[in-house]
Amino acid sequence: MIELRNLTKKFGDFTAVDHLDLTIRTGEFFGLLGPNGAGKTTTISMMSTVLLPTGGEILIDGHRLDRKASAEKRKLSVITQEYSMRQDMNMEEVMEYQGRLYRIPRKQIREKTEELLEFAGLAEYRRRTVRHLSGGMKRKLMICRALLIEPEILLLDEPTAGMDALSRRQMWNLLRRLNERDITIILTTHYMEEAQALCDQVALINRGKLQKLDTPQALIEELGAFAVDETSEDSLKSRYFSTRQEAIAYLQTADHSAMLRQTTLEDVFVECAGRKLDSGR
Amino acid sequence: MGILTVLWEKWVEFRRDFYKITVAAMISPLMYLIIFGMGIQTTSHGEPYLHFLIPGVVAMSTMTGSFSAIAQNMSVQRLYEKALDQVMVSPTPLWQFILGQVIGGSLRGMYAGGIILLLTMPIRTDLTFNALSLFIMFLNGLVFSTIALTLSFLAKSYTDAPRFTSYIITPMSFLCNTFFSTEQMPAGFRQAVSVLPLSQSAGMIRAIANGEDPGWIGFAILAAYLLVFGLLSMNFIYKKKNL
Repeated sequence: MIELRNLTKKFGDFTAVDHLDLTIRTGEFFGLLGPNGAGKTTTISMMSTVLLPTGGEILIDGHRLDRKASAEKRKLSVITQEYSMRQDMNMEEVMEYQGRLYRIPRKQIREKTEELLEFAGLAEYRRRTVRHLSGGMKRKLMICRALLIEPEILLLDEPTAGMDALSRRQMWNLLRRLNERDITIILTTHYMEEAQALCDQVALINRGKLQKLDTPQALIEELGAFAVDETSEDSLKSRYFSTRQEAIAYLQTADHSAMLRQTTLEDVFVECAGRKLDSGR
Repeated sequence: MGILTVLWEKWVEFRRDFYKITVAAMISPLMYLIIFGMGIQTTSHGEPYLHFLIPGVVAMSTMTGSFSAIAQNMSVQRLYEKALDQVMVSPTPLWQFILGQVIGGSLRGMYAGGIILLLTMPIRTDLTFNALSLFIMFLNGLVFSTIALTLSFLAKSYTDAPRFTSYIITPMSFLCNTFFSTEQMPAGFRQAVSVLPLSQSAGMIRAIANGEDPGWIGFAILAAYLLVFGLLSMNFIYKKKNL
C-alpha cells in the first residue's frame, strides 16, 4: 500500500503540490489526472525521490520513502515523461546498467533483456545507441528497462505520450497484464480514454490540490451518465443528465444543433479543470 | 556493489570513447612540454626547465582528467539526459554511487597523468616516479572528482560545466606550482595559491621526482579537501530538494 500524507511541494513561492492525501492499495491501477501544471509529474518525482517534499511524507507498506530507503526503492520502477537514459549507451548497456543498479545477477539480466527486447520488437536494434532511436523506440526501451527489475509498484508518467494508436493499444494490454499480476500501477496521463479504460480509481488534481477521488464510473455518474452537446456558432456546450430520458427530454427542447452521447471521464476532467471545450474538437 | 556498477558504467564510457579521451588527455600537456620544455630552452634552479615542468604537467593532467570526466558527465546526466533519475530511484545506496564516481574520475585522471609519464619516458631526466607518486596522483584525482561532483550538483544548466573549467581549472593549471614555483609569488597571494590542491600535488610529485621527501602537509591538505567536498557531494545527493 502507498500512502501520500499531507504531501506538499513548493518551488519558491509556487506551490506545485498542496497537502495531497492519497491511499493506493496493493494491486490497484491508479490514475493521477489533471491539466498541465496540476502537479502530476511533481508528485511522481517525489514518489521516485528525485524531488524531496517540502512537507508531508510518502509511505510504502508503512515505511517512509526517502533517498536512503533502499528496501522501499527496490519495489519501485519509474517510467518518466522525459527519456531519462544515457544517450550514448546502446540498448543492451541501458538494460545491463539498470540490472546492475538493482543487483540482479548477470545471467538473469541477459535472459530478461533478451525476452523484453524481443517482446517489444526491439531485439534487432539492441546495439543501437539511445540517441539514434526514434521517440517510440526510446519509450519502449524505457518500459523494458522498468520491467527488467520485476517491480511491485510501477510509476508511469505519461507512458504513451508520442506513441501511435496501435502502440498505445499494445501498451494498454501490457499494462493490464502487469496489473493482473498484482503489480500496483500509478499512471499519469493526458489521454482520458486511457485512464477510463485502465484505472480502478482516479484522482483529479488541479493546482496541486485533490479535486476528486473515485472510480471512473462513479465520477461519470456523479456528473451525469448522459451528455448533450449543443453546438452554437462559436462554441460547444455540454449538459449532463442522470438518465437517458432526462437527456432526450432536454434534446427535444434544444435551440441549437445538439447530440446525445454517454458521458466520459474527459467530461469530468473538463468540468473539474474548469476548461472550456474547444469548439473545433 | 554499487561502486562496481558505477565503475562498470565508467568503463563502458571509456571503452567507447577511448581514442577521444586519449587524444584529449595528450594534446594540451604535450603542447606545454614541447613549447615550454623543449622549444623555449631555459633552466630552473640550475636544472633544465623540463625537470621542473614534467611533474607539474603530470599533476595538472591528473587534475584535468578527473575533473572533466566527472563535471561534464554528471551535469549532462543530471540536467540534460535526466539519467541520474534512474540512479536516484534505484536501491543502490547513493553513497556508493558517489564513491564509484569519485574513484572512476580519479582513475581517468591517473590515465591522463600516466600518458604523460609514458610520453616523457624517452627523455633522459633522471626524475623518479614511484608508487607514492602514483598514490599522490590518485589522491589528487579523488579531490578533483569530488570538486567536480559538488559543482555538477550546483549547476543550473549543463553548459555550466565548461564555465567551471574556465573559472577553476584553467587558473589552477597555470598558477599552482605547475609552470613556475609559487615561491616567486608576492606574499599573501603565494600563501593563498599554496594551499590549493594542485599546488600541493605538483609540489609532492616534484619532491619525489627529485629524490626528496614530500612531507606530510600536502597529504593532510589534500585529505582535507577530499573530506570537505566528499561531504558536500553526499549532502547534495541525499538532501538537495530538487536534484
